[in-house]
Amino acid sequence: MSLLTVENLTVALPPGGDRALAIEDISFTLDAGEILCIVGESGSGKSVSSAAIMGLLPPALKVVQGRIDFEGRDLLGLKTAEMRLLRGSRIGMIFQEPMTALNPLMRVGDQIAEVLKVHGAGGSEGRVRELIEAVQLPDPERIARSYPHLLSGGQRQRVMIAMALALEPAVLIADEPTTALDVTTQMQILGLIKEVQARRGMGVLFITHDFGVVAEIADRVAVMQHGRIVETGPASEVLNRPQHAYTRALIAAVPRRARAIEEAPKGRPVLELIGVKKTYWRGGALFAPGIAVPAVSNADIVLRKGETLGLVGESGSGKSTLARCVVNLVHPEQGTIRFHDTDLRLLQRRHWKPFRQRIQMVFQDPFASLNPRRRVGDIIAEGPVAHGMDRPAALRRAAELLALVQLDAGAAERFPHEFSGGQRQRIGIARALALEPELLIADEPVSALDVSVQAQILALLEDLRQRLGLTMLFITHDLRVAAQVCGRVAVMQRGVIVEQGRTAEVFASPQHPYTQSLLDSIPGRHWLPPVSGTA
Amino acid sequence: MGRLRLVRFLALRVVKMVAMVFAIVVANFLLVHAAPGDPASVMAGEAGAADPQFLAQLRTQFGLDQPLSTQLWVYVSHVARGDLGVSYRQQRPVASLIAERLSATLLLNGTAFVLAIAGGIALGALAARRVGHAADSLITVLALGFYATPIFWVGLMLVLVFSVWLDWLPSFGMNTVGADLTGLAALADTASYLVLPALTLGLFYMAVYARLTRAAMLEVASQDFVRTARAKGVPEGGVQRRHILRNALLPVITFGGIQAGQLIGGSILVETVFAWPGIGRLAFDALLARDYQILLGVFLVTSVLVLVFNLLTDLLYAWIDPRVEVM
Amino acid sequence: MNRILGEFLSTFLRNKGAAVGFVVLALVGVAAATAGFLFPFSPWDMRGAPFMQPGEMDFLLGSDSLGRDVAAGIAYGARVSLLIGAVSTVVAVVFGITLGAVAGYAGGVVDDAIMRFTEFFQTVPSFLLAVVLVAIFSPSLASIVAAIAIVSWPPVARVIRAEFLSLRSREFVQAAEVLGRSRTAIVFREILPNALSPIIVLASLMVASAILLESGLSFLGLGDPNQISWGFMIGAGRSVIRIAWWMSVFPGIAIFLTVLALNLVGEGFSDALNPRLARRR
Repeated sequence: MSLLTVENLTVALPPGGDRALAIEDISFTLDAGEILCIVGESGSGKSVSSAAIMGLLPPALKVVQGRIDFEGRDLLGLKTAEMRLLRGSRIGMIFQEPMTALNPLMRVGDQIAEVLKVHGAGGSEGRVRELIEAVQLPDPERIARSYPHLLSGGQRQRVMIAMALALEPAVLIADEPTTALDVTTQMQILGLIKEVQARRGMGVLFITHDFGVVAEIADRVAVMQHGRIVETGPASEVLNRPQHAYTRALIAAVPRRARAIEEAPKGRPVLELIGVKKTYWRGGALFAPGIAVPAVSNADIVLRKGETLGLVGESGSGKSTLARCVVNLVHPEQGTIRFHDTDLRLLQRRHWKPFRQRIQMVFQDPFASLNPRRRVGDIIAEGPVAHGMDRPAALRRAAELLALVQLDAGAAERFPHEFSGGQRQRIGIARALALEPELLIADEPVSALDVSVQAQILALLEDLRQRLGLTMLFITHDLRVAAQVCGRVAVMQRGVIVEQGRTAEVFASPQHPYTQSLLDSIPGRHWLPPVSGTA
Repeated sequence: MGRLRLVRFLALRVVKMVAMVFAIVVANFLLVHAAPGDPASVMAGEAGAADPQFLAQLRTQFGLDQPLSTQLWVYVSHVARGDLGVSYRQQRPVASLIAERLSATLLLNGTAFVLAIAGGIALGALAARRVGHAADSLITVLALGFYATPIFWVGLMLVLVFSVWLDWLPSFGMNTVGADLTGLAALADTASYLVLPALTLGLFYMAVYARLTRAAMLEVASQDFVRTARAKGVPEGGVQRRHILRNALLPVITFGGIQAGQLIGGSILVETVFAWPGIGRLAFDALLARDYQILLGVFLVTSVLVLVFNLLTDLLYAWIDPRVEVM
Repeated sequence: MNRILGEFLSTFLRNKGAAVGFVVLALVGVAAATAGFLFPFSPWDMRGAPFMQPGEMDFLLGSDSLGRDVAAGIAYGARVSLLIGAVSTVVAVVFGITLGAVAGYAGGVVDDAIMRFTEFFQTVPSFLLAVVLVAIFSPSLASIVAAIAIVSWPPVARVIRAEFLSLRSREFVQAAEVLGRSRTAIVFREILPNALSPIIVLASLMVASAILLESGLSFLGLGDPNQISWGFMIGAGRSVIRIAWWMSVFPGIAIFLTVLALNLVGEGFSDALNPRLARRR
């Protein structure tokens, strides 16, 4: 007898969406003591499924048909009050964004106690302390007294887990709980969930888009596409012998070690960073100096023509800051940034223009990197126009570039909001290439994209790099992506480059303990995605 | 918020407030000198300008033949001593004229403010909770209506209805003339005179706060931590009170604080309509008589009231929101 | 461009309130424009006996204490309200955008100085300041417009500054910087067009509050003595409200309808402009 059985669940979207149904005819079971992972890209309906189970669907989404059997009752037939009694006590849920998931005006201890109190289970300080200890947070007294803004993302997610498990529910629903966390924190939280689940024999419904996470923790897998489940089965089966074309495509898109061994590039360096230092000052007012936050302290990099150097690190490592120092968006107080023979750091703003043509940047957020009020053609043409090209010629160039990034020429007349995330990233790349730069800095260019789109953009970048002879500085937090794309890699931790070298060597035998822990934190690192027949 | 931090915060704010008051005094000074005509006759007002002796006295007192910087210094030191000038028409110092009417204004504004805040937040929260339903539509429409109506006209209409047509409430003044009541009877008497003006002033700002609260609550209701609360099984009432309303109050305090400053300014209209003996009425009479010293004095005093109120609002905000680092 | 306009108008008009507001405003505008045609005499003229009830003797809305036509007063008064509302708002918006843009883009000391200046005008009670200004500089159309503009610009500056601060670190602005575009191009072609949409909403609300401010000023007797205005009419009717309620009621209704219409239109703008920006994926 399964713990949770979902049968033929169908939920409708409000009219005007890109499809009529959010999820269609979804059926799956969850047993006690197992972790079922629901995998899918954005828009697949995975979050809607979990919300439907909890009875937390937004009012615009209506359940059209289906049953959800839990502990002998159909959850969809329950009255609001009865459902409320189940939430938090028999079924617990944790969400994706820990930074906004806690009430900023209530102490953490009070929020944990709240779940106990509303279900009539006490809520004493001692119990709250026990719960905080159970999620491996040190100094439970201090944590209980703190307000959420004093805790880190990882700590807040642990608090969420403590709240969800306070009443020892039979089922835990985890909706992408680690997506917003750093990779090392992610590993710890995954470990915690596994440990808790094993100890209590709970059933866990874990929603994710990351196959690495699936490889790391799943017992069974269900793959969703466009609101339907396309494949279900034990993890080992689905991961290693995927049946459905979509599953195969998704697994093929997971970045993997590149096959070709590149030879070490020679020649004079294109870009050299020596002793770069950037400090931010937080707070501070009259008579009170603020706190120094060293974003980058001591970064040395050499980049030669044709190379792709990966700058790898977690959030706060300083990798983005360092990249922005190279293009003068951020002004470091110390160090040398030598591009060929010029020290860029010492240049005045008005002397930068010729270098703008040679160093360009692709940004992370496809939704914020294009001016929503300009047409795509203008966006791409603006760079050359600013450097003296006449407008018709620049627009012709824009048309060529659109073809280069595999978008149709008609795109030039449309506005950014008419394109998807992946398409906008292509436009961003076209914009960067319009000036025919030598050095391209890519700041997490695929982090905001779905995994299948990610693969396409990475392939595009590789193709362009070879064709145009680009030198690339590639910033990413995803070690798998770095492994696929970069010939050499530099690992940053809190503003310092702790290790650098050829990717294959660094990954095979990391020297620095931080690099080792980073590599150990790749979810599903022991899983080798099968080489698929279809692309 | 530690003791030391609080003291530093207050000290810094007091310094800023003093700077602001100084700026207002300087502004007053500049206005006097920018006005068409001779500064002495501006200060003397319409009545005093007719008296050459008084004018001469003013000139020496304020050093109006001296360079501008000396004049500014003289003016500022007068104000610092509490001397806001003299009204020729009333033959009394401006400061004492203001002082005796201040309590009436504070009574009116205080009552209106309490009414506006309590009613506004309650109605706005109700509208947000029943968004899309009849209660929400009704409250929203009414709020929009009162927000669009000039305060003085609302006052007049209330007088028309409740005083002229229905004769339930008195239409002007603060208490029954010649009745010589004391104790509870006096309070009840004043209260009956207070109803219409407080309602007039309060209704407009009640509409403002209702709209503000409704918008803030709808905004907060869509935030993640509200979903977390529901996922924990917190009943709807608790979600509304502990999670939504508490957080929605933050922007209400911020914007509400700013609005309250305008409330004090708006009371000049209400006091005029109802002949309420406060500083607003004083200013209106001074306006008719072109008695600029009183006008500027009222302007200064109301600005100081706004500053004090802003300080209280900021303290309240810092007390409620633990994320605010009180320097 | 036509498509954006079309999209915008259809969302705007779907909002019934905004459509109604738009119609009312149009009517007010028509009344103001055709006042000379509908009432071919000066509104200050005595046209008959005083205190005529509405409907008596050709007085559609009655006559006042000097026998002047109330309906004519309302039609001519519309001119003053709309004129003062529009002009003072334009002045305030231009001034506010300039200061806000400089503060938001320059940052640092310049930003601090401008913010202190803005704070001053937001601290002092704005209606009182307007009263003081108009009183000291003698009431006239120019002084009233100037006074209202002076007390209304701070929210514009605040909003533009906030938009600039947020847009300055937005990635498409950074991209423009990296492309080597000039500072002028970045401010005027990248930042400003995106910063302006909240101003459109704000501007319609500002015209509404300008009309309320002007009516308050003329109620207190600080209106331009040569122009008849709604607030003045209410003030004139105040002392005789017991015997001639129509003198105060109708001008008040006119103010109410106009301000309400402007608020509805403003909210319509807000709804129409936001979903497009919020549309993602």
